[in-house]
Amino acid sequence: MKTKFFALAAGLMTATALATAPAKADVKIGLLGGISGPIAAMAPAMIDAAQLAVQQVNEQGGIGANEKLVGVVGDSACNPQNGTDAATKAVNIEGVVGTVGPHCSGAVLAAAGSVTIPAGITLITPSGTSPEISNLEDKGTVFRTVPSDDYQGRALARTMKEQGYGKVAVAYLNNDYGTGLAGAFKAEYVDELGGEITQFAAHEEGKASYRSNLAELAKGGADTLVIFDYGDGTGLTILRQALENGFFEKFVGGDGMKSDAVINELGAENLASFVASSPVGEKSESLDMFNEAFKGVGGDPDAIFVSNSYDAAFLLALAVEKAGGKKEGVAAAMVEVSNGEGESILPGEWKKAKELIAAGTAIDYKGAAGDHNFDEKGDVPGTYALWEVGSDGYEVVTEMK
Amino acid sequence: MEFLGLVNYALFMAIFIGIYALLALGLNIQWGFAGLFNAGIAGFFAVGAYTSAIISTPPADGRFGGFDLHFVLGWIGAMLAAALVAWPIGKICLRFRSDYLAIASIGIAEIIRLVIKSEPVLTNGARGISNIPRPAGDIGYMESQVAYLIIVLAVLIAAYVLVERQFNAPWGRMMRAIRDNEDAAKAMGKDVEFRRLEAFIFGAALMGLGGALFAHFNRAITPEAIDPMVATFLVWIMLILGGSGNNRGAILGAAVVWIIWSVSEIATDRLPHEYAVQAKYIRLFLIGLMLQLVLRFRPEGLLPEPLRGDQRTAKTGADQN
Amino acid sequence: MELLELLNFYVIPGIVLGSIYALGAVGITLIFAILRYAHLAHGDLATLGAFIALAVVTALGVSPLVALPVAIIATAAVAVGIDKVFYEHLRERPKIVTVMASLGIALMVRSVVQVVWGVDTQTYTRGIVRPEDYFGLRIRDRELYTVAAMLLLVGGLQLFLTRSKWGKAMRAMSDNPNLALLSGIDNKKVVMLTWIIAGGLCAASGFFLGLNTELKSMMGWHMLLPMFAAAILGGVGRVEGAVLGGLIVGIAEELSVLVIPSEYKAAMAFAILLFMLLVRPTGLLKGKVL
Repeated sequence: MKTKFFALAAGLMTATALATAPAKADVKIGLLGGISGPIAAMAPAMIDAAQLAVQQVNEQGGIGANEKLVGVVGDSACNPQNGTDAATKAVNIEGVVGTVGPHCSGAVLAAAGSVTIPAGITLITPSGTSPEISNLEDKGTVFRTVPSDDYQGRALARTMKEQGYGKVAVAYLNNDYGTGLAGAFKAEYVDELGGEITQFAAHEEGKASYRSNLAELAKGGADTLVIFDYGDGTGLTILRQALENGFFEKFVGGDGMKSDAVINELGAENLASFVASSPVGEKSESLDMFNEAFKGVGGDPDAIFVSNSYDAAFLLALAVEKAGGKKEGVAAAMVEVSNGEGESILPGEWKKAKELIAAGTAIDYKGAAGDHNFDEKGDVPGTYALWEVGSDGYEVVTEMK
Repeated sequence: MEFLGLVNYALFMAIFIGIYALLALGLNIQWGFAGLFNAGIAGFFAVGAYTSAIISTPPADGRFGGFDLHFVLGWIGAMLAAALVAWPIGKICLRFRSDYLAIASIGIAEIIRLVIKSEPVLTNGARGISNIPRPAGDIGYMESQVAYLIIVLAVLIAAYVLVERQFNAPWGRMMRAIRDNEDAAKAMGKDVEFRRLEAFIFGAALMGLGGALFAHFNRAITPEAIDPMVATFLVWIMLILGGSGNNRGAILGAAVVWIIWSVSEIATDRLPHEYAVQAKYIRLFLIGLMLQLVLRFRPEGLLPEPLRGDQRTAKTGADQN
Repeated sequence: MELLELLNFYVIPGIVLGSIYALGAVGITLIFAILRYAHLAHGDLATLGAFIALAVVTALGVSPLVALPVAIIATAAVAVGIDKVFYEHLRERPKIVTVMASLGIALMVRSVVQVVWGVDTQTYTRGIVRPEDYFGLRIRDRELYTVAAMLLLVGGLQLFLTRSKWGKAMRAMSDNPNLALLSGIDNKKVVMLTWIIAGGLCAASGFFLGLNTELKSMMGWHMLLPMFAAAILGGVGRVEGAVLGGLIVGIAEELSVLVIPSEYKAAMAFAILLFMLLVRPTGLLKGKVL
C-alpha cells in the first residue's frame, strides 16, 4: 500500500513537472491572493489589477529581450497554511522571480518567513498592513505598496479634526487591518489632538446583525461613526444598519470602506454624509491613468486595494527589468526604481521605462496609490485623500496631510 | 533549477504532512481509540503554537513574555500548555457523548480563537507573533528545509512509536473496550471517565506540539492560522480518510489529503489564463469531489483499523457510532 | 436604558436574527433525529438557496418574496439530489463518514456558487429601507416577513409531522428506526422527505439572511455554528425546540454587547450552549440524547 502510494505521489509530481515545463523563457511573477476565504469578495479585482500591469508590460515590449511576463495566480486563502503552500508552488514549481501578495498579513508573514526570504525571492504585498511586516528580518526582500496602518490612521484623524468633526465613535473589524487603523486613529485623535472618542469597539466579521453594536456605539452621544472595515463585507452591513436605523449622522471610513459595493448596494442618494480615505498618487494624473486603463479592461477602479495591487505588480515588473530578469537582483532594483530620484514613470508607461532602463537612466515610479518611495524596511509613506460620494462615483474632498 | 524546485516543493509538502500527521495522530488517540468526537483541534493547535512562540521569542513590548528560551523548551511548553488547557475542558465536556462533545469542543475552540485575537497583552492580538526562531533556519533555503524536515520526522516517529506502543499495550486494549462497549468496561471495574480524560489530554498535547512545529516553521503565528476549516476539519478528513483507529492510516491520510489539497491547485492552473481566478473555486470543488470518491470506494479508510484477537476470525461489522 | 430602546435595538433584531437561525436549525435537528448525523453542508446549502432566489429576481424582475418559493423548491431538489448521489451509499457506514462527506459537499456547493454568481457582495433590492413606526416600535416590512414566514413554515411543518401519515412516519423513524422499519415504513421515502424539508427550510434561512443583509458567498458558512448551537440548545429532534433555540441564540447575541466586549459577541451562542449542556444535556425541550 505504502509503496503504491509513494509511486502514485511520485507519478503525480512528475506529471506536474512535465505539465509545468515552460515552453519558452517566459518571466513569471506570482500573484498570490486570498481568492477563497474571508476576503474572497476583494481578491479577484486585486488580481485583475495586477494582471493589467502584466498585460501592459507585454503590450509594450515585454520584459528584457522581448520575453513575455506571466502572472501566475495562486490562492493564499487568507491563512498561513494556504499562503505558504501557494508561495512554495509559485517559487519552486513555477519559478517566479518575485511575488505580488499574499494579501492578508498573516499569510504574508508566514509566506515570507518560510518561503520567500529563505529562497531569496522578492515579495511585495499590496494589502498586508500589519506593522509586524516592517519588523521582519527580511534581508531587504519584503516590500509593500500599502502604507502601514499607523500612517493612514493618524492622517485621517488630523483631517477629520480639520474638517471640524467633533465627538466620534469608532467601530473596527477585529483583525490586523481594523485594529491597526483604529489604534493609530485613537492615538492621534485623542492623545495628540484632544478630540473625543465616545465608544471604541471591535466586532467579528460575518454576523448578520450589528444593530446592538450600533446601539452601544451610539450611547456616548457622538454624531459621527468611524468604520475601519471592508466595504464589501461586514462594513457594508454596519453602514446599512446604521443608516436604516438612524444611528449617527455622519460616517467616515478607512480605505477599506471606499468600495463600489457601498454605492451599488446602498445607493449614492443615501450616502451624502459618508466620506472615506483612500490612497492617491502625489501626481493625481497617476491615479487617473490607472483608472482609465483599468476601466478599459472592464475593471472597477473603485474596488478596494486595486491601485495598490496594480502598483505592486508594475513595480515588480520594473524591478525585474532593471535586474535583467534575474531573481537575485530584484530586491535591490526595487528600491532603485522607486526612491524619489530619476525620471518619473507613471502607470502604464512601460515602454518609456524600458527605454530609460536600457539607457541606464535612473527612473522613479509614481504610482496610482502613492509615490512608493521605499524606506529601509520596505515600507512606503502614504499619500491619502478624503473622498465623498458624488453623482458619478467617488470624488476627492481634500488631500490628507 | 526545475528539478531543484520540485525537490523543494516536495520537502515543503513533507514538512506540512509531518505537522498535519501529528495533529491526525493526536486526533486518532481521541477518536480512533477513545471515541471522543473532538472538533476543537484548532484550539489546541493554537494554544501550542502561541505558547511556543511566547517562550522562544525575544522579549517584546506590549505583550506577555518573549522569554527567549531554546525552542525545545518552547515545544515542551506547547505540549504542557495544550494538555493543561485540555484538562478542565475534558473534565467538564467528556461527559457529553459524540455529537454533543463535537459542538461543545467547536465552541471552545472558537472562544480560544476569539481570546487570542482580542487580547493583545497575551498574544499581540490580531497581529500575531512573528520572528519566531526556526531551528537551523539560518542556512540556505533547501538545507534549512531538509533540516526542519528531519526534525519534524524525528518528532513524528517518536510520537508514532510511543502511541503505537501504548495502543498495543493493555492500555490500548482497555481504551478500545471502553470505546466499543462502555458499560461492559465499567462493569469490569475500569475507571472510564479517567481513562477518557487521559486520552483526551494526550491527544491535545500532540496537537499542541503540531501547532508549535507549525509556528516555528513559518516563523510567525497569527490568528488567521486558527481557521476551523484548515486547522480542524481538514485534520478530521485526514483521519477518516486514512483510517481511524490505525496510526499508520492517520499518517497516510495526512499525506494523501495534503497532496490532494496542494496539487489540486496545480491541476486547476492548467485551465485557460482567463479563468485563473475561477480555477481556484473549481479547485475547492475538485477537493470536495475527491473526498467523495475516496469515501465512496474506501469508506473504512485507506488503512482500516487492524482487527485484533477474536475479530480476526469473526469479522464483525463493528459499527462505532 | 429605556424599554423601547431595548426592544428596538436589541430584542427586535435578535428576534429577526433568531428566526433566520431557527429556519436553519430546524433542518439540522431533523437530519440529526432521522438520519443521525451532523450535516455540515447546511450553511452552504443556505447560501445556494439565497443565490437561486437572486437569480430569479434578476432574471424575471419579480419581488424577492415571489422568488422565495422557487428557491425553496430548487434547493430542496438539490438537497435530495446530493443525498441520492453522495450520502445514500454511506448510510450503512459509521456516521462520521457521512459527516466528512458533508464537509466535502460544503466545499463543492460553495465553489458552484462562486463560479456561477461570482464573489461580489450583492443584494435583492438596492438602497436602504427605513423602518415603520408601530407605537414606538421600529420595524421594517422585511423583518415582519422574516418572522411571519418562519412561523408559517415551522407551523406548517409541525402540522405535517403530527397530522399526516408521512409526518407520523418521520417521527416514528426518529423515535425508533428499527421499530419503524418493522412496521413497514418506507425508509427511502422518509429520508427523501427529510431532505425536501431540510433543504427547503435551508433555502428560506439563506434567503432571509440575504434579504435582511447582503448576499455573500461565505454567508452560510458563517451561520453554521450558531445554527448548530440553536439545534442542540432546543433539544435534538424537537422542531419547536430548534425555533426556541434559534430565537434564544439570536436574542442572546444581540443582548450580549450590553455585558461583554463586542468582539466576543460570536462566543455568546457557545457560552449558552455549554451552560445548557451542563445543566440539562437533553436541551431545553426534552430531545434525544445522542
